[in-house]
Amino acid sequence: MTDTQPVKRLAKAGRLPRDLIIGLAILAFCAVAYWITLGFAEAPPALAQNVQPASFPRMVIGVIAALTVLMIAFGIGKPGNPRPLPKISVFITAAMMVGFVIAFDVLGIIGAMVLFSIAMPMMWGERRPIHLAAYAALFPAAIYSVFAVGLGVYFAPGLVGTLFQGL
Amino acid sequence: MDAFGTALVSFTDPYLIGIVLIGTLGGVLVGAMPGLSSTMATALLLPFTLTMDPIPAIALLSALYCAGTFGGSITAILVNAPGAPPAAATAFDGYPLAQQGFAGRALGLAAISSVIGGLFSVLVLIVAAPLLSRVAYNFGPPEYFALAVFGLSMLATISGESAVKNLIGGAFGVLLATVGMDFTTGVDRFTFGLWELSEGIHFIPVMIGLFAGAEFLKQAGKLDQKRFRVAVDAVRLPSRADIKRCLGTIARSCGIGSFIGLLPAEGGTVAAMIGYNEAKRWAKDKSQFGKGDIRGIAGPEAANNAATGAAMVPTLALGIPGSATTAIILGALVVHGLRPGPHLFTEQPTLLYAIFLAMLLANIAFAFFGFFGAKLFARITLIPVEYLWPAVFMLACIGSYALDQAVLDVWIMVGAGLLGFVLQRYGFSAAPIIMGLILGELVEGSLKQSLIIFDHNWLMFFERPIVVTLFVLTALSISLPAIGAARARRRARMQEA
Repeated sequence: MTDTQPVKRLAKAGRLPRDLIIGLAILAFCAVAYWITLGFAEAPPALAQNVQPASFPRMVIGVIAALTVLMIAFGIGKPGNPRPLPKISVFITAAMMVGFVIAFDVLGIIGAMVLFSIAMPMMWGERRPIHLAAYAALFPAAIYSVFAVGLGVYFAPGLVGTLFQGL
Repeated sequence: MDAFGTALVSFTDPYLIGIVLIGTLGGVLVGAMPGLSSTMATALLLPFTLTMDPIPAIALLSALYCAGTFGGSITAILVNAPGAPPAAATAFDGYPLAQQGFAGRALGLAAISSVIGGLFSVLVLIVAAPLLSRVAYNFGPPEYFALAVFGLSMLATISGESAVKNLIGGAFGVLLATVGMDFTTGVDRFTFGLWELSEGIHFIPVMIGLFAGAEFLKQAGKLDQKRFRVAVDAVRLPSRADIKRCLGTIARSCGIGSFIGLLPAEGGTVAAMIGYNEAKRWAKDKSQFGKGDIRGIAGPEAANNAATGAAMVPTLALGIPGSATTAIILGALVVHGLRPGPHLFTEQPTLLYAIFLAMLLANIAFAFFGFFGAKLFARITLIPVEYLWPAVFMLACIGSYALDQAVLDVWIMVGAGLLGFVLQRYGFSAAPIIMGLILGELVEGSLKQSLIIFDHNWLMFFERPIVVTLFVLTALSISLPAIGAARARRRARMQEA
């Protein structure tokens, strides 16, 4: 048995045509987007001048759908490249990205940045506590100074800010 | 000439010179860092420029853009990891040459080729942009509609897994641009009851997310990868023999890069690949290509830098981005209350001359930084990823928030990052989505205006010669990749036979 045989078997075992899954996902997106356009309010003809608010988005959705069908058609007869699932670290990082925005809203910018500056490098393998502490103290302070003090950006205090204000 | 004088005088201000030098230095640094492209850096830097005057703000971004293209070559040569996509072709011969102990020679040649390409492209910009703007000054909505469609159709030819996927990405960007209130009727579209979305999706958080957010996730999947850096000897000017050997290649690449840059949506990556292929095609002895041929460094480096200035031509003269980075600069112009397009040449001539001068200065400065700092800049790859990328992500979040001080923009950035990561896995590029998002408003607005002018008679589009020309070019740009692929398949079949 050669090295290539398992790959061939995979392809013969009915691996889906290239781009079929992503193509179907895009078509489903188009269907949902089109359905949403059905809910757009109609404008009076004099105001709309024969081009209703939904007309252009529907036209673009049609173009996307047509191109997607073309993409699927081009992939017929060509088995897709095997795509290994992303590593677990990617999923955790994605969850932490979402977690950062939630913390940004709830705790405030400083709290969110300090937490993220500790948690994210740790998750990526950093274990040196002094490095982590220095990073978590210096980076948020530098960024906050540049944006809040230097550029005058207003950040809602959040729970952490309110707590400090209370003290 | 008054405007040129004013711009020249403004460059005697140490503040403006300092801004350009900071932009150049920043560009070389981010360009050198694998994963941190000048496109991403420009998007991240944009929020910092909000409080600046338009001239220093745009000069800073333009300098970063020029230098970032060169910076990518440093790590391409020393680490075999191109700092930016346009430097990918430089690694083909740059890294083998460095492995042979000639890293300094390779870096010196890359710097000189980049400077020549960059300066040539600024000259192209200075000559071509005003000419093109004069032509575009008489464009009406139908011409702008045809031009925007042509710009989108050019997405078919940019790098990526397939032309159709790029077009889908572009159309998706146009759809994103329809989110918010329809300006002619005041009806909300795709806002889901969120009043913050009534003004539409700001392209900057989307752009930051697609570039920085998606790259953050990509880096999360590469934590176990180790990079090996080649030791650098002193960076030195190319010898007379090297220059003589590469002169033809550099000259050809200057022309190729400028032409590619002038085309809407094309950019340095395509130019560099063609520059490399042409260097190889024209070489009498091809045997050393891929093993450290100096023409394999000069070709792509001159071409990708020649594309930078040229890509600014459609951006400034027509308001149609010439590349992903110029799309961000286009957005920066809008954010600073300026109107890209032919009117910019009559309304803001000083700004335009300042951009030209900033790019000239940046091109000279990055050569200086390249010669004296390459050894140091190569050390940027030693920054631990577990600190660098979380910092980039936090900066991306705060940069997105700073625009309108809305948390929704941060959510949009994160959403764009997740979507960008998934789409990249399936062969879709971020650049077409950005192009579509930026051109979307122009496409819809000019189409509606045209239909009103033509009383909804679509055939009247074909009564205007410029529109017909642009439609023909659109058809060609869509069909050419398919024709090219078919020819390649036929050639392969013939070779097999």
